Amino acid sequence: MSSATPQPGGAGPAWQSWLGIVAIVLGVLLAATHGTEWMKQRVLINATPADGHLPAAECPEDELIEEGLSVAECEQLVSNVRSQVVSAPPWFPGLQSMLAAVGTVLAILSIGVGAGLIERRGWAPGAAIGVFGALTLVDAASFVAAVNTGPILRDVYLWNVLLWFFVHLMMTLGAAAGRASTAAAAS
Amino acid sequence: MRHESEAVAANDSETEHAKAGYSRTAVIVHWLIAVSIFFLFASSWWMLALPLPSDVFTYREFPFQLHKNVGITLVVLLAILLYVRARHRPAPPGVRPWMQRLAVVDHVVLYGLILAACVSGYMSSSYSGWGTTLWWIVELPNWGYENEELNVLFSDIHLWTCWALLAVAAVHISGAVYHAFRDDGVVRRMLRI
Repeated sequence: MSSATPQPGGAGPAWQSWLGIVAIVLGVLLAATHGTEWMKQRVLINATPADGHLPAAECPEDELIEEGLSVAECEQLVSNVRSQVVSAPPWFPGLQSMLAAVGTVLAILSIGVGAGLIERRGWAPGAAIGVFGALTLVDAASFVAAVNTGPILRDVYLWNVLLWFFVHLMMTLGAAAGRASTAAAAS
Repeated sequence: MRHESEAVAANDSETEHAKAGYSRTAVIVHWLIAVSIFFLFASSWWMLALPLPSDVFTYREFPFQLHKNVGITLVVLLAILLYVRARHRPAPPGVRPWMQRLAVVDHVVLYGLILAACVSGYMSSSYSGWGTTLWWIVELPNWGYENEELNVLFSDIHLWTCWALLAVAAVHISGAVYHAFRDDGVVRRMLRI
């Protein structure tokens, strides 16, 4: 059998196994990241008073001991939330929630696509290009969204999103190049 | 005639492949557990940086309930995984003996740490006085009374078992990545879809 011929559950081009395991590991981590981001936005929206004004921190001594916090750290926890709230334009939480929800679904799909690549399923290379490409677009949209917020949220999001953008871009191009070379070898 | 023999060979190959791998239920539950564990890590690091709870600050309410719900569900998923793995034992992967022994030790420690992390987290919550409502439907009984010392003790156990779990999960993932890069068929056993 040619090593370039896809064979379900058997031998096939090595790039599928390599890209597949990367997609699975990163898919698990990314599902956790996007899932947490979705929850973060929902919690900030629902628990922040409508006028956006946060009162002074409450730092009872027993809670400080339990959490291993100083009074200054306890007060900073409230300041951290305040800085997120004041730096976010009104459209940001909704858009970020939507991108995080789509990203979670795509991350879970990328686990399935990774499994398909390792299994040498015929649909997997095409699906990989679609799912990794969609994740790249989500990263690009998140990047543009963060650019249009304040400096606090840019500091929180931009670099992480940029890293994921290039990771997904490389995975998309890797899948496209692998599929093209496999097709060329088979013809 | 040639097409028929190729079809039979392909069918035999699929059957052998199915025997060599874990059951479909085990595969699905394994990946649910994987995503849940990393979600719990990522979300807990964030939620512990939220303001301390009070009448005014309710930021922690939803994330903590969700954290406990996912943790309790993780124990159920672990029980299902152990049950289906006991019922369907795939053929040995055909790796070197020391790798096989390391894999067995890694799995046993991993399962033990998942259980210890979840149980210690629930015990800590029970002694904290905060109630747990399973998926916002079933009010679970507190196993302990409100006791600050026991809360801190179980919280510390929870913290350290979680760090240990992360380290052992890293070993587990390293093994999977190594075998996938070698493309030796070991990882395919946990990927039947």
